[in-house]
Amino acid sequence: MTKSRSLRIVMAVAVSAALAACSSSATPVPATAKVYTYKDMVVGFIQTGSESGWRAANTSSFNEEAKTDGITLKFTDSQNKIENQITAFNTYIADPAVNVIVLAAVDVTGYDNVLKAAKAAGKVVVIEDRRIDSPSTLYYTYIGSDFDLEGNKGAAAMCTLLTGMSGANVVEIGGDQGASAAIDRAKGFREKDSACGINILDSQYAAAWDPTVGKSIMDADLKKYAGKIQGVYAHNDELAIAAIQSIDAAGLKAGTDIKVVGFDATADGFKYMITGELGADIECNPLLAPQVYKAALDALNGVTGQPAWVPSQEGQFAASQGAQALQDILKTRKY
Amino acid sequence: MNGSFSRTWSKLTESMLFLPTAALLLILIADFFLIPGFFNIEIKQGHLYGSLIDILLHGSPTMILAMGMTLVIATGGVDLSVGAIIAISSSVAAIMINPTIVGMNLTDPRLFINNPQYTWAPLWLVFVVPLVIATLCGLWNGMLVSYWRIQPMVATLVLMIAGRGIAQLITNAIQIIIFNDTFAFIGNGYYLFPFSLYVAAVVFVGAWLLTRRTSIGLFVESVGINYRSSFYSGINERRVKLFAYAFCGFCAGIAGLIIASNIRTSDANQIGMYTELDAILAVVIGGTLLGAGGRFSLMGSAIGALVLQATLTSMLSFGVPASAITAVKALVVVVVILLYAEQTQTFLRGVGKVSLRQEATR
Repeated sequence: MTKSRSLRIVMAVAVSAALAACSSSATPVPATAKVYTYKDMVVGFIQTGSESGWRAANTSSFNEEAKTDGITLKFTDSQNKIENQITAFNTYIADPAVNVIVLAAVDVTGYDNVLKAAKAAGKVVVIEDRRIDSPSTLYYTYIGSDFDLEGNKGAAAMCTLLTGMSGANVVEIGGDQGASAAIDRAKGFREKDSACGINILDSQYAAAWDPTVGKSIMDADLKKYAGKIQGVYAHNDELAIAAIQSIDAAGLKAGTDIKVVGFDATADGFKYMITGELGADIECNPLLAPQVYKAALDALNGVTGQPAWVPSQEGQFAASQGAQALQDILKTRKY
Repeated sequence: MNGSFSRTWSKLTESMLFLPTAALLLILIADFFLIPGFFNIEIKQGHLYGSLIDILLHGSPTMILAMGMTLVIATGGVDLSVGAIIAISSSVAAIMINPTIVGMNLTDPRLFINNPQYTWAPLWLVFVVPLVIATLCGLWNGMLVSYWRIQPMVATLVLMIAGRGIAQLITNAIQIIIFNDTFAFIGNGYYLFPFSLYVAAVVFVGAWLLTRRTSIGLFVESVGINYRSSFYSGINERRVKLFAYAFCGFCAGIAGLIIASNIRTSDANQIGMYTELDAILAVVIGGTLLGAGGRFSLMGSAIGALVLQATLTSMLSFGVPASAITAVKALVVVVVILLYAEQTQTFLRGVGKVSLRQEATR
């Protein structure tokens, strides 16, 4: 009894002290009309993990941009596990300092409940890089690549590479089965692969984009379809490079006997294009932080009418551009 | 004739190698009927090439891990940190070959594109330093277990969780592609057979000589059976355990170098993920009892590692989705555990005894 009363007194004192602190530092502008700047933004960034060079560039984009803009950034590496992302979400929702949550989703589904909770708590949510299947009313906007379009480009690049080959038999080494990047790159490829009569011999997914698994898949494919494979469609550069190692061990030459298409256009991908082993590399821009932070700021300031999806601008590269040209491009690249 | 059959049968089933060998044969027989061309072996560019060779190539890191794990399990412990040690050793090796990538300094990438021998640190150091660090990691585990008396599962859990973080700190969480051809040889090269298989063979022979030609093997078994009575009979059981964990770390270091070399990448996040479970599984399939300690079989563990890899390679060749393979692996585990159950063992022995009895009544 006495204990609870004294507790109540302590709390009352604390609350009034806090209020006093607030009022003493309060700005003359009423809270409703407060104009947010980057300095007021505290971002909780839930990253998928660090599974590739692309991801590293994506993370450092958020770090560096936050530093230059004066944004406070809290970072979670969820190690490619959705349960870690949900936990991080709840932590950021409970954290009163955080007003923006940025999510790079591991999976396509499973975020509805935390998104609702974030909305109820008045947090701005911006989805970056990976598409999710939740209703777009639950978040402010999605900024990321059009993986489907990337898949279309991949099919077109493969068609160009396969010109003059004895056939058009392609094996696919997919990324993580639940990731939107893998799902849509597979879908986009199939939308355009009939243009030159590509026959997909086999399609396997490497869990968590693990290149060790990718290599085992390619090893098995090369035996199963010995002498029949003309192309490899790999969902990122790391998987493409793993496939190139496997092709090499089979006594074949990547780029000559088997054409390889990869995604992301990382520095590593470039190096293999320069040697001619990687036939084509479709760019996937990881430097999304400026767009994401801008959108989050708009949301805080009550700007509406943002499209549900802002696709990022991307190009593509091919070994046929020549080693010198590629080396010159590589010097200008940030990832 | 019947008698000689039953005697050979009971000798066979009582051998520690019976079950792992039988499991491996079963898988290969299934492959023979289900997967056309699985047994094809060709010579490409002067080396052997085929699915069976793939099993040996990809199985050798697990084989090496299983050697260290066998000794640890024989002392009555377990090491959960080998996957993390793999991540550390491969990260250290990769960063020593090419530290410029971590600095995101791509101003002159031609250095390592045009020169396949490019390495920042001398190559012998690239091999030695990761192995020393891996051994130190093992020693750390051993210290926790033997001197601080922390349960092995808890003690090694520390490094299992922290190790991957350490590896990410080392590489700045960037995947480093390894362009050095000599380094790539240990995981991709061949002298007729995959080079990594020779490495595994050397580790096996080394471990065998160490445990079967010196008294260390006996010490390990006695510590595993009862560390107190070993202590009272004058065995420095702490040093024995320290040795077992350090050796396990050393093996994990070698495996890390081979795996990183094989995919030409150090990937702190994914490399060696769940390999600790593969190594433990290989040891269990090989007939060394988990949790009990004592009698161990290095050969059994090596065959156990091949059983696991044969399962994986067959599944991929058969067209099972890579994501479903873990489920199949689980099935293999259940079967193996059932085979080692007391009831099954009695039954197997019974098959021999029945024929003995029949002979006696005649």
